Amino acid sequence: MPIKKEKLSNPDLGALIEGLTGAGVKFIIVGGLAAVVQGAPVTTMDVDIVHSQSYENISRLLKFLKSVEAVYRRPDDKLIEPDKDDFTGKGHVLLSTRLGPLDILSVIEEGNGYEDLLSHTVAMEFKGRLVRVLSLEKMIDLKERSKDPLIKKHLPILKEVLRQLDRL
Amino acid sequence: MSQETNKNESAGVDKGLVTMFLRMTVEERVQANDNAVRAILELRDAYKKRKIIESGSGCTD
Repeated sequence: MPIKKEKLSNPDLGALIEGLTGAGVKFIIVGGLAAVVQGAPVTTMDVDIVHSQSYENISRLLKFLKSVEAVYRRPDDKLIEPDKDDFTGKGHVLLSTRLGPLDILSVIEEGNGYEDLLSHTVAMEFKGRLVRVLSLEKMIDLKERSKDPLIKKHLPILKEVLRQLDRL
Repeated sequence: MSQETNKNESAGVDKGLVTMFLRMTVEERVQANDNAVRAILELRDAYKKRKIIESGSGCTD
């Protein structure tokens, strides 16, 4: 199933989230988009999610990925579709879809998976459906403990968002 | 936390921009990000095209 390059130049990350929720996929938004939806004025080029690794959820996820023509992001032109085994381990699956780049992570920092992170999420309504987003507090906590300066880059902005939210 | 620490932590952060984003709905924030991404990609594309034109005219001169 060839994916046309011109489609990738017109990403619609909102539609990607809407599609995932509409397909009944259980996931948590992490990374830059989690900061964006909670009010951080930053820009992100992709959607990062941590997915539930239940058999049913991986089946729903694969069905959705097929519908958006997902293939691995690679430096060459090979078109490789993900399969169910890619979502059962601890790795990261970095994909291109017709709606934009989608990174599907089994775990994030310190081995935190879907079940571990659930209690650190906030539920937000997006286009009539609830989406789970990693909380600002947890994002700040993970970033503060990271040794990677790139990961720490947006820390002052996240702290300012939290400060202003606490005052509301 | 002292005032001094607060000041240091928010150094370089546009507080007004944060306030503006917090007034938006979730949908509006995602839309703003999508618009920004498209603008960035358009600018990158324009820059690439410009470079190609410049290198092409360099060859013919």
